[in-house]
Amino acid sequence: MINSALHPAQNSPRPPRRIAVLTSLLVATLMSGCSASANPAADPAAVPVSGGILDVSISAEPGCLDGHGISATQQQFLGRLIYDNVVTLDDDGEIAPYLAESWEISDDGKTYTFHLKEGVTFSDGSPWNAEVLGQNFEHMRDPATKSPLAAAYIAPYVDGTVIDEYTFEAHLEYAYTPFLYTLAQSWLGMNSGKAIEESPETLCQEPIGTGPFTVADYRPGQGISYTKREGYDWAPEWLEGDGEAYLDGVEVTLVSEPVIRHQSLVSGQYDLTENLAPQNAAAVQENPAFEYQNLIRGGSPNVLSFNLNRAPFDDLAVRQAFVAAVDTQAVAESLGFGTYSPTDSFLSTASKYYDPTVEGTLEYDLDRANELLDEAGWTERDSDGFRIKDGERLVIEVPTVESTTPSPLLVQLQGEARKAGFDLQIIQLPQAQLSELRYAGDYDALAGVWHTNTTDVLFIRYHSSEITGERIGQNSSYVDDPALDDLLRTAREADDGPIAEDAYSEVQHRLLDIVPGLPLYENHSQFAYSTAVQDVAVDTSHPVPVLTYAWKAE
Amino acid sequence: MHTVRRILLRLLVGVGVLWGAATMTFLAVYLIPGDTALLILGGPDARPTAETIAQVRSDYLLDEPFIVQYAGYLGNLFQGDLGQSYRLRIPVSEAIGQQIGATGMLAAAATVLALPLTFAVAVLSAQRSNWVRSLVSGVEVVLAATPTFIIGFALLIVFSFTLQWFPIGGDNGFSALVLPALTLALAVFGTLSQVFRNELEDVLEQPFILTARARGMRDLPVRVLHAVRHAAIPVMTLSGFVVASLLGGSVIVETLFSRQGIGALTLASVYNKDLPVIIGIVLLCAAVYVVVNLIIDLLYTLIDPKVVTA
Repeated sequence: MINSALHPAQNSPRPPRRIAVLTSLLVATLMSGCSASANPAADPAAVPVSGGILDVSISAEPGCLDGHGISATQQQFLGRLIYDNVVTLDDDGEIAPYLAESWEISDDGKTYTFHLKEGVTFSDGSPWNAEVLGQNFEHMRDPATKSPLAAAYIAPYVDGTVIDEYTFEAHLEYAYTPFLYTLAQSWLGMNSGKAIEESPETLCQEPIGTGPFTVADYRPGQGISYTKREGYDWAPEWLEGDGEAYLDGVEVTLVSEPVIRHQSLVSGQYDLTENLAPQNAAAVQENPAFEYQNLIRGGSPNVLSFNLNRAPFDDLAVRQAFVAAVDTQAVAESLGFGTYSPTDSFLSTASKYYDPTVEGTLEYDLDRANELLDEAGWTERDSDGFRIKDGERLVIEVPTVESTTPSPLLVQLQGEARKAGFDLQIIQLPQAQLSELRYAGDYDALAGVWHTNTTDVLFIRYHSSEITGERIGQNSSYVDDPALDDLLRTAREADDGPIAEDAYSEVQHRLLDIVPGLPLYENHSQFAYSTAVQDVAVDTSHPVPVLTYAWKAE
Repeated sequence: MHTVRRILLRLLVGVGVLWGAATMTFLAVYLIPGDTALLILGGPDARPTAETIAQVRSDYLLDEPFIVQYAGYLGNLFQGDLGQSYRLRIPVSEAIGQQIGATGMLAAAATVLALPLTFAVAVLSAQRSNWVRSLVSGVEVVLAATPTFIIGFALLIVFSFTLQWFPIGGDNGFSALVLPALTLALAVFGTLSQVFRNELEDVLEQPFILTARARGMRDLPVRVLHAVRHAAIPVMTLSGFVVASLLGGSVIVETLFSRQGIGALTLASVYNKDLPVIIGIVLLCAAVYVVVNLIIDLLYTLIDPKVVTA
């Protein structure tokens, strides 16, 4: 793996839960007089203090707080405040109990029996039980919820049976091992059954969960005030805490300008920012008053996906040539100010079953790129230096969302690709038109990233059934490869273990032969907070801060 | 009686303006290419199911022809129903209601800063020595020509980042209001002050000013008591410009200073093609214009009884 960046991201798929805090270590050493062998993560001097409001800045606001109804990135962080999930991923990324204490999966993988935790209540006082779990599945797939994400994640769910008050049997159409993983995601948190039944239309503005905080005041476009949930006592085990949150509340404010997010954090106006722009990372990292985290999200890294359905990328040699023409390390370095990890894999290094043996195949080699294009018949060049074949220029149309400054990534790629004679054209369009173009397959390449906590992302991105037809899919490369389809199906249906591991490994190698895109760099989650904030945990489903047992030193 | 008829006529014209504004906006947003249903469902990274897309299309009449959508929209509008926001999933009137107070406060604060500043600078600098006028005029031109974003950023760098006198954005209390209001005020001040001074200078050449001075009146009272009133009318004509600057500027100022308000709502709605909210905001702006123009119209007569507008 190429990773010689100035401030390299943690490349480990298992980010540390508790983050050592320099000042508390110093204090501990001074007070106890003990040697430097003190373990900062288990600092005995750092006794949590209850109380206080944590001020947090976020980069965007979803407009709706019901996870089932949105796909916004910020929900990864916001959802953890108010919701609990059926299951969770523990420190090792393994499925662990949460609102379900245990579960059984039938041999055919189609029946899941959940044994739910007793005594859990929603903030409206209503109970958590088997019936409510069923209501949540129905709410996710109810067209009225307008779910852009959750409904697709539970698509194989057919129906459920309430066996008794705390036992629920879910029936799936086919074996679908990612089921439990998706249930651990922030977008699939559990809503109050009472609210789903009585007033589902209010859940966006007044979501009701069982989580450690409740929404006290939601001001769309401005901020969200959360207060501690009295009596909360069902956090997952990996959070290593009991009972209610330490903080009295969390005050979340939308600060959309990156430079303002940085300045207002440094000035002490906010204790934590959920999204720190890469250009500010070095400054915050050097500031001893702040803790900076740069973690890699699982799923698909940033990839320029090729449209295999259309010339010129229907030709494997042209795809290989494009990949060889781009110096991804230089691109990542310049875009991420040294904070982005370049990658040459179609699966994030943070994902389960990531196979490091794929590294080094899709390499930057300009001579090779030129050779491949010559062999593919793109031998001549026009007066602008672009390659031509049968009088046609080697044009790559890349649509992107309209903005005042064109996407810096695409501008970089334009320059890189030009060296080999590609004419990469950036087409700026309004968001709505872009979506339409995308579903019509009317493009040569698209830049994108897709985060999820399951390796099933490879199915979502590259299985032929995910090609947009009657149903909208995320296979924007139009990969239609029977061998790959078989492997993906096997992997998806197999239990976690060697069969899945082998299948996913083969998938990753098969993708290197198909070259459905150009892998660029990882999907990073960069956040920072004052060292006065302690015990900020990190989720393994989504590498974002979890504040359940965070506390503020005076 | 005459005044009442004038007001009624004006209001009638106002309703026409509102209808025109609603229609134009509806048409403009309708003509932007792109599938609104997909946009409502989260854009390119979403995986909506076919049932969900069908539900959205029928909920928002998206599969109906233009004329049905338009008629449906106008029908609801007449009943005071602005529709439901695609993005926020609450009624548009509620979405605007949540934000209007913040923008109103910002605009009011900006006006409170801009008007006395304009008044003082123009009155004190009219017909002064050349270097004073060049200096003041130069500053005004720079302020009028500088994009609001730059003014706001400069103020932030000086007073928040460096001196740390004021918070960097946010909505918390009076101190957070100062810089955004000043940003808007400065943007308005540049143009207003230029016009006001030119008018004052014209007026100060008039014979009645000479008469006043001949009576032994001192300079400042002459300017304030005699000249200002005459110079005020052309400046008031610019109130449309002021309202536009305040509303338009709020889009930038609210984003830059992380404030709640109509401006921030406008930006988010345009970006997400949230048609009902966009039309709602356009209607709101049109209504504000109609009312402001009516008030100014009446004020003309109050300031100078000779002025009679139709």
